[in-house]
Amino acid sequence: MPDDGLDPLIHVPTRLKIVATLAALPEGDALSFTRLQDMLGLTPGNLIIQLRKLEEADYISSEKTRNGSVSLTTVVLTTRGRTALDSYRQALRDLLGGL
Amino acid sequence: MSPTPDTTAAENGGSFDPQQAAALLEQTTQQARRELEPYPPWLLAIRGLGALVVYGGIWLSVLGQHPYAHPTVVAVPGAIAFGIVNTVATFAVANRATAGVTGRTRLRASEIVISLALWIGVFAVMGVLIATGVSDSLTYGLYPACVPLIAAGLPWAAIMAGRADWRRCAQALAIAVVGIAGLFAGPAGAWLVAGVGICLVLVGTAAIVARRQRA
Repeated sequence: MPDDGLDPLIHVPTRLKIVATLAALPEGDALSFTRLQDMLGLTPGNLIIQLRKLEEADYISSEKTRNGSVSLTTVVLTTRGRTALDSYRQALRDLLGGL
Repeated sequence: MSPTPDTTAAENGGSFDPQQAAALLEQTTQQARRELEPYPPWLLAIRGLGALVVYGGIWLSVLGQHPYAHPTVVAVPGAIAFGIVNTVATFAVANRATAGVTGRTRLRASEIVISLALWIGVFAVMGVLIATGVSDSLTYGLYPACVPLIAAGLPWAAIMAGRADWRRCAQALAIAVVGIAGLFAGPAGAWLVAGVGICLVLVGTAAIVARRQRA
């Protein structure tokens, strides 16, 4: 963790938006890859890269299900990811003297 | 959503200062909450005001009846039309907001079936009341004004409690309480209590949701 206390994994605009969007859902709810992509206006390739980094840190988990010929990928913010976002928000408050 | 700052620059140690991050976090959170909210404040407020107009109209139509007979034929079609538009609009908006969402936010098939069965049961019982010649003040007053609110509110509160969604649980309980309070207001007063009560609950909830979305 850097001196400013901002988690470098979240302190990237695209990943911050991903985590903040998933955190707007009730805990445990998942969002489809396509809806997330639509909400954030990202290309599939960019979104996949960022999700992979978040998944490696166990901040999100993804699940792929198949219904006939249609596959659906859903993404959920893990408890660890939610905690990391809370810590990040608190670190921002500390740095800026109130968000 | 607004264009995302240059991620590559930020990952390479470029400029993404805490102020930018705070603004982006706040903006994204608010926007996501708005887009994912199945019951947005504007819809809740319109439904609340609509209920006030419809129930208030029925109340005015029965106000001078001694003894109580039934709402006039002018008031009833308006109430039915409001009920249909209200149901369709609510489901359409909720469906769009929760597209791609899985988990406890989505209603389970069993919950939808139970809710529908209860509604059908409410109207079936009303049919029985009419067929058996029960007094007009109960059949066309207390029962249609109050019982649907209780029949909708209590199961919905139970469903929301099961999901630990306490805000919606409280909202549903408040609707049921309005129905119970209406039972003590007489056949004409029940319509007024229902209209004012539903309006207060829905507009109050709209204010709470709007405040949460801005938080």
